[in-house]
Amino acid sequence: MNAKIEARSVSKTYVSSRTGERVEALHDVSFSLQPHEFVSIVGPSGGGKSTLLSLVAGFVAPSAGEVLEDGARITGPDPRRGVVFQDYALFPWRTVLGNVEFGPLARGASREAMRATAQRYIDLVGLAGFEQRYPHELSGGMRQRCALARLLANEPDVWLMDEPLAAVDLQTRNILQDELLRLWGDGEERTQRRAVLFVTHGIDEAVYLSDRVLVLGRRPGRIKEVVTIDLPRPRTSLRNSAAAGRHIDFIWGLIRDEATRAIVEESA
Amino acid sequence: MIDRRAWLPFSVVAAAMVIAWQAGVVSMRQQALVPYPVGVVEAAVRTVKDGSLLTATANSLVRVLVGFGIGALFGIPLGVVMGFVRPVGRALGPIVDSLRSIAPIAWIPMALLWLGIRGNAALFIVAYAAFFPFVINAAQGARLIDRNLVNAARALGAGRALVLRAVVLPSALPAILAGARISMAFAWGSIIAAELAMGIKVTSGTSGAVGLGQLMVSTLYVRRDVNALVLYMIVIGVISLFIDLAMRRLQRSLTPWGHS
Repeated sequence: MNAKIEARSVSKTYVSSRTGERVEALHDVSFSLQPHEFVSIVGPSGGGKSTLLSLVAGFVAPSAGEVLEDGARITGPDPRRGVVFQDYALFPWRTVLGNVEFGPLARGASREAMRATAQRYIDLVGLAGFEQRYPHELSGGMRQRCALARLLANEPDVWLMDEPLAAVDLQTRNILQDELLRLWGDGEERTQRRAVLFVTHGIDEAVYLSDRVLVLGRRPGRIKEVVTIDLPRPRTSLRNSAAAGRHIDFIWGLIRDEATRAIVEESA
Repeated sequence: MIDRRAWLPFSVVAAAMVIAWQAGVVSMRQQALVPYPVGVVEAAVRTVKDGSLLTATANSLVRVLVGFGIGALFGIPLGVVMGFVRPVGRALGPIVDSLRSIAPIAWIPMALLWLGIRGNAALFIVAYAAFFPFVINAAQGARLIDRNLVNAARALGAGRALVLRAVVLPSALPAILAGARISMAFAWGSIIAAELAMGIKVTSGTSGAVGLGQLMVSTLYVRRDVNALVLYMIVIGVISLFIDLAMRRLQRSLTPWGHS
């Protein structure tokens, strides 16, 4: 099977425009994301998780190596790769409807098609009745749903998600995790699912959602381990299972030392 | 503008000042060059009746609005591009800054030379004055844009034109509207100066459309009516007050997301 996304020996070095200081965010990273596969990226702060996602999105270019989609080199953003940002990046001057319509608008859909598509996904994420609200009038959980509807309205093949649930409280987070799985097709045929690359701080979240977890190390960011999560789907009843717990303990064991050092170094 | 609870004390103090002014002038010997309240009211009644005040006010206002519009039309797109496309900003920034440091009224002689006294010179001065706050603020607003919003739009399939129109422009809109308030104040301030300078020639020959500035010049040199001069000053002040109020209201209604 051909990989949907493939990173080949990717490195990324940032040069500070102020001090000229060079920071290597990623070093020689290779991985693949298969069609229909849910892959999470976890690791300590400064491990280059967000950088990796930006590279796949096409927002930044690698300093070395290449990132491919369906075998073709990624040179810039593309609507086939939808992105959900950590702070949602909703357009504050557009209503919920206006935000969700943006993708179809950008791709030149007719007014009616645009409206119908947007409404379908607004209903799907449970935001019906809030179409005319502005983002600042929504709760964190609702903004998250709006961002998800905006992504879905473009019907992308790949979902790139940068800590999408980091800013909501724990209960909302559990609920949104289940909704995300439902929208992705956790309970359906494998072929119904899209490819997802999901950055998170939460190891439990990564284990609960993913088929595989990429564990990154820091300074420079590199892949330490790829952990296959062999829990059956649908996963709704497996949130606190012993099997999930073992995966979580294993991954935490890989990260703990570096995460501890990250706390000290980042306060220095 | 004025706190509701302040209306009563404000009215009392204002009335006391007007009465003291009137009494003070009446008690003076030499009165010809000193304006007084009753005289100002008389001048108001006279100039409203013969239509000169309203015509002049309308002429000045039209020039201000047209000049303001021209300033916006050129200033906003230029500023947005300068702020968003860094090399353009770096190339044009120094030019804009050095032109900006020339006071608009310093252009009056050149404007008179090129455009004559029929009103286009005043329009040029006003547009020039209004242009810079638009450029500066639009550039600032576009520069400070949240790059995540731009990335979000690009990942949704937006090209450069749509990003500029649907992301950068609205993102910079609060800053642009703040600039518009400054532009409007500059425009209204410079129209009076421009018309004052042009007025001297208007009265000596061909007449353009007379604005408040020209009216002041003819009142000063022809009629020597100090009360009318004070009346025009009051009108000018009241109009800028209302313009600023209107601009603030516009700001609120055009950026509903910024005032939760």
